[in-house]
Amino acid sequence: MDSKKIEELLNKYWNCETSLEEEQQLKEYFKSGEIPEQLKDTAALFQYFDVSKKKSLNDIGFDNSILNSVAPKKGKIVKLVYNSMRIAAGIAVLVAAVWFVRQELRKSDPPSATVEDTYDDPKLAFEETKKALMMISKSFGKAEEQARKLNMFNEAQEGINKTPEKK
Amino acid sequence: MNQEAFQNRVLPAKNKLFRFALKFLGNEEEAKDVVQEVFIRVWNGRDQMHEVQNWEAWCMRITRNLSLDRIRSLTRKQTQPIESSFDVRQETLTPHESTEAHEDMQRITQFIAALPEKQRQIIHLRDVEGYSYNEICEIMELDMNQVKVNLFRARNAVREKLTKINAYGL
Repeated sequence: MDSKKIEELLNKYWNCETSLEEEQQLKEYFKSGEIPEQLKDTAALFQYFDVSKKKSLNDIGFDNSILNSVAPKKGKIVKLVYNSMRIAAGIAVLVAAVWFVRQELRKSDPPSATVEDTYDDPKLAFEETKKALMMISKSFGKAEEQARKLNMFNEAQEGINKTPEKK
Repeated sequence: MNQEAFQNRVLPAKNKLFRFALKFLGNEEEAKDVVQEVFIRVWNGRDQMHEVQNWEAWCMRITRNLSLDRIRSLTRKQTQPIESSFDVRQETLTPHESTEAHEDMQRITQFIAALPEKQRQIIHLRDVEGYSYNEICEIMELDMNQVKVNLFRARNAVREKLTKINAYGL
């Protein structure tokens, strides 16, 4: 670019009449390095603009920290699902363990009470029942005997009570 | 807008937002915090995004407002001294370039830092970031006239100081 054009552009620049494209042309020109002595200071200003634009946010984790804080909802749901899955898995293991243990116990130790109480042979069952009933009946008989003794006393007392009335 | 669109379209503006916030705050950590907050706000307000014509200018405006809020809450009217703050020489230039441009750049950094806040912001938006006047109006919430006047003053203040160096070799 010839120096006259640059002069012209710079004048426009100082008067704030340049467009963005023209300002870009100036920046490019001052970047090139072949700058006349009288424009060295102006060049420094444009170089300053250029260098300033290179300043950047020096943090590798920045994007991720933003993206993390930007998506808390999704994260929460995932966490919730994850946690409930863990709890469900724990419960499943517990239920399976209980079931197996019960199964094992049943196999090794057949439930005794029901087998002992039940007779496969009805005749035997009848005999057993009869035995039991006989035992009850025997006890009743014994009790009746004692009650008869009581009755004797009772009658005797009644007899005593009656005699004075006869007199 | 879904997360992918957010990641591909909005997040790449982070450096622009960061530089802008840094202009206000003069502290990289504070500026980073502000940018983070801007993105979270943009995400939360993503339903209104379709009403926004220029989302980048919108982001820049939020950056500006949050930065100003932060300055207010820190009760810090001025940015930090330039020595400890925005130093463009850091890691942005090769050693050769920096030896050559060292003094000039430092001087210009000082000139720009010495400008009134509005002028400093506007010259940054126009000459560093290359925003159009309309976008600057939107970001700064100023009318076109104010933007142009401030830019004119900023450019000419810097120019004046540059010519002074030339004349007196300051």
